[in-house]
Amino acid sequence: MDLTHIFQQRIHNSQVSNDSHKPQRSPIIQKWFSGLIVLLFLLLPFFPFMNDYWIDVAFFVGIYALLGLSLNIVLGEVGLFDLGHTAFYAIGAYTTAILNTQFNIPILLLLPLSAIMAGAFAYLVMSPVIHLRGDYLCIVTIGIGEIVRIIIVNNPWGLTNGPNGITGIGVPQIGPLMILSSTHFYYLIWGLIALAIIALIRLQRSRIGRAWNYIREDAIAAELNGIDVRSYKLLAFVLGAAIAGITGNVYASKMMIISPDSFLFMESALLFCIVLLGGLGSVPGTLFGAAVIVVFPEIFRQFASFRLLFFGAALMVMMIFRPGGILPRRRGHVGLEGLGIRNLPQPDEILVQNGQNRVQNLRASLPKITNPDSSAILETKRITLHFGGLTAVNLFDLHVKPKKITSLIGPNGAGKTTLFNIITGIYRPSQGQVFFQNKEITGLKPHQIVQKGIARTFQNIRLFPNMTCLENVMSGPHCHARTNYWSAILRTPTQYQEEKTIVEISSHRLHQVGLWEYRNELARNLPYGKQRYLEIARALATSPQLLILDEPSSGLNDKESEDLMELLQSLISEGFTILLIEHDMNVVMGVSDWIAVMDMGSKIAEGVPADIYNHPVVIEAYLGKEEE
Amino acid sequence: MGIFFEQLLNGLTIGSFYALVALGYSMVYGVMKLINFAHGDLFAFGSYVGYTILVWGSGRITQIFGIWGGMAVTLLITFIAVAMAGILVEKAAYRPVYPAGRLPLVVSALGMSIFIQNGIMAVWGPRFQAYPSEVVPSAAFDFFGIHITLLKVFILFFSFFLMAVIYYVVEKTTFGAAVRAAALDRETATMLGIDIRKVIFFVFALGPALGGMAGVMNGMYYRSIQFNMGWNYGLKAFTATILGGIGNIPGAMIGGLLLGIMESLFAGYFPGGGAWKDGFIFIVLILVLIWRPTGLIGEKIAEKV
Repeated sequence: MDLTHIFQQRIHNSQVSNDSHKPQRSPIIQKWFSGLIVLLFLLLPFFPFMNDYWIDVAFFVGIYALLGLSLNIVLGEVGLFDLGHTAFYAIGAYTTAILNTQFNIPILLLLPLSAIMAGAFAYLVMSPVIHLRGDYLCIVTIGIGEIVRIIIVNNPWGLTNGPNGITGIGVPQIGPLMILSSTHFYYLIWGLIALAIIALIRLQRSRIGRAWNYIREDAIAAELNGIDVRSYKLLAFVLGAAIAGITGNVYASKMMIISPDSFLFMESALLFCIVLLGGLGSVPGTLFGAAVIVVFPEIFRQFASFRLLFFGAALMVMMIFRPGGILPRRRGHVGLEGLGIRNLPQPDEILVQNGQNRVQNLRASLPKITNPDSSAILETKRITLHFGGLTAVNLFDLHVKPKKITSLIGPNGAGKTTLFNIITGIYRPSQGQVFFQNKEITGLKPHQIVQKGIARTFQNIRLFPNMTCLENVMSGPHCHARTNYWSAILRTPTQYQEEKTIVEISSHRLHQVGLWEYRNELARNLPYGKQRYLEIARALATSPQLLILDEPSSGLNDKESEDLMELLQSLISEGFTILLIEHDMNVVMGVSDWIAVMDMGSKIAEGVPADIYNHPVVIEAYLGKEEE
Repeated sequence: MGIFFEQLLNGLTIGSFYALVALGYSMVYGVMKLINFAHGDLFAFGSYVGYTILVWGSGRITQIFGIWGGMAVTLLITFIAVAMAGILVEKAAYRPVYPAGRLPLVVSALGMSIFIQNGIMAVWGPRFQAYPSEVVPSAAFDFFGIHITLLKVFILFFSFFLMAVIYYVVEKTTFGAAVRAAALDRETATMLGIDIRKVIFFVFALGPALGGMAGVMNGMYYRSIQFNMGWNYGLKAFTATILGGIGNIPGAMIGGLLLGIMESLFAGYFPGGGAWKDGFIFIVLILVLIWRPTGLIGEKIAEKV
């Protein structure tokens, strides 16, 4: 496990404090409360103490709030360190400024164009580097921010007017209304924020937002549960950049002049601080963080040159006393309402029943395997993988018969998990092919292989620790869902149906492994044995043909192992095929239909359990050769 | 050809500043997994400490110890001062935040960076300060038509000497092994009886102190310093660290030198290169990372599943 991973977990452990399950105010009070806040924002310019100066301050709070929200998608939802977010903001601002001053295109028309330009730019520059991890991605984003600024300063083709910047940018016009005064701009930016918040919350409460969170919790586990990690990371960057681009448009038209000085690294750093000060992933927190960052220096204006000194100290003090932010994100409700999916049937148990029906219908609609004995559902041909000079897997042929339990056994370090990693697409073999249902799957990405019907669990459990058990399992059906982010934002009926299906199938699977009562519990709070079952439920929820289990009984006591064997048998009768790595010989001999033995990367024997049990080569591999 | 070697020499000189700062970055990163954004500002702080010592009593130090002796004394005092500052920074801003995880640490580091930068500005003022010419050795010689100042030679030799010392300490001594162990896996290292506080003390004293000395040499080399100079050097050094492979000591040195050489060759040969050189550096960095996601010397670690 790499360090980034451990540390990310640690962040969440500390951030998702124990009160994350504390229910918030009742829904009605909550509604009134939200209404009151909206009203406050609407009336703000008319309060007696507000003059144009303070309305402008409120406008700039809005600018930073919108930027913060856009960064929050990347940083808060997906957990990617982005310290160059200002680049996207600059692209939006300069798109607006150049096209408006040179071609007289109206500002309002440029609003969507700024978003598109910033989004497209993000897509272009991030696609080649999106696979980088942690701090490597961080320095790349810093680099992109600097490159954009340097390009602007150097005035290519006379477009950006270099360090002096572009002047004479027009104002937006909505019908006959010119947006000119401070108050107008105030309403414009906060109106956009309202839209962004609605979109963001709807995304958070859809499979898109959940996918982002799965990636944040454990990118590898997400990929191996059918989530296209790369695309979702890119989507987050593109959406974040588009919103930043929109902000740039508003900023440019408000200032009427923009110069590279507005897009320094410090801006990106401030945005980072806004998101962290407010609380990762928290919408009200981000607004609050923006207010702190903008208003703080205003209040200390009289101290002139010392205010940034105070500011730096304040950041440190904040992180010492409230590392999780001022308003950390909490789950709004205990129970399934916390998922944010509306109108789920009540009581919850109906979901389990519906899920079961769905799964049965699905199973019935699948083509029957005509002759289960003759065909192999999974076949590896001469799989070989070298790590440096070490041959981890050597010319390995494996046949997995449908609706049977095949076990792969062998001493520690034999290469069993490596073989699993090749089958599930984590490693590309140096040589050889993998066939699944007679189609070659070698070289496909892990999430594509999951989509084709292979699901797996891990030797050392990899759950999404800070999400509930049900949310964990809900990552399974994700790969078969089709609705995109637009339908999530617009809440289309198809999207609702799909979400409901996801919940139902997941509820059924959770119930099936006996964890239904823990559905609203965070995964990390489960005892070890139950975490193993949760992983199995999550894998089952991808509706696989083939289930690959990597040492499912390790860490289980005898009773639990017996339960596991029962579960495995019941899965076979449900129609699954199982491939197993296992060390517990009771389990192996008890459930397996066929056993392959691996040592030093090669297959040394295979056969039915009774044959393997007394096979001299196998005994030698495990216990060593007897002295003559 | 003469120009080429001159640029190469300039590049090596700048590169050795980057390398020294990068070393500190890398050491701190290794143990704390923290991008110490304040590191560049400690470099600037060192530069200002050196400046203050050298201008004290209108060059008293130089008068007493001579021009080279004064330089040695200045470097020594700066070393101590910045080492203490480094330890203070760790105690004030990082130790209390460490248990909260990485992201709060980043914010704390950014806060510390802003704090130090503006602290320098509050003490020494926002304008450029110049190292006085009488404290900087000006001797020079011509070598096959290349103009070489003794200062440059000194900077190169001293930097390489420091790097060699650090390399030796980290790679060849028992304590160095403890530092590397702590970098690999802090928890396991603690369980094996390594006193992690000592390691942290070591990296936070030595890392910034190296940068501080680089700051003094940088001040002598360019003669003028400004309160916000640390940011640029910090960023370059961080880039060098990543280029070499983060947490990797020799990687940081090579990354720094490489960066300096690329920068000055690009600035020398590319028309208008001076203005674009930083952009060029980042493009190279990104290309290197696309090709080798863990840096040039960083090990290719297969993700454990």
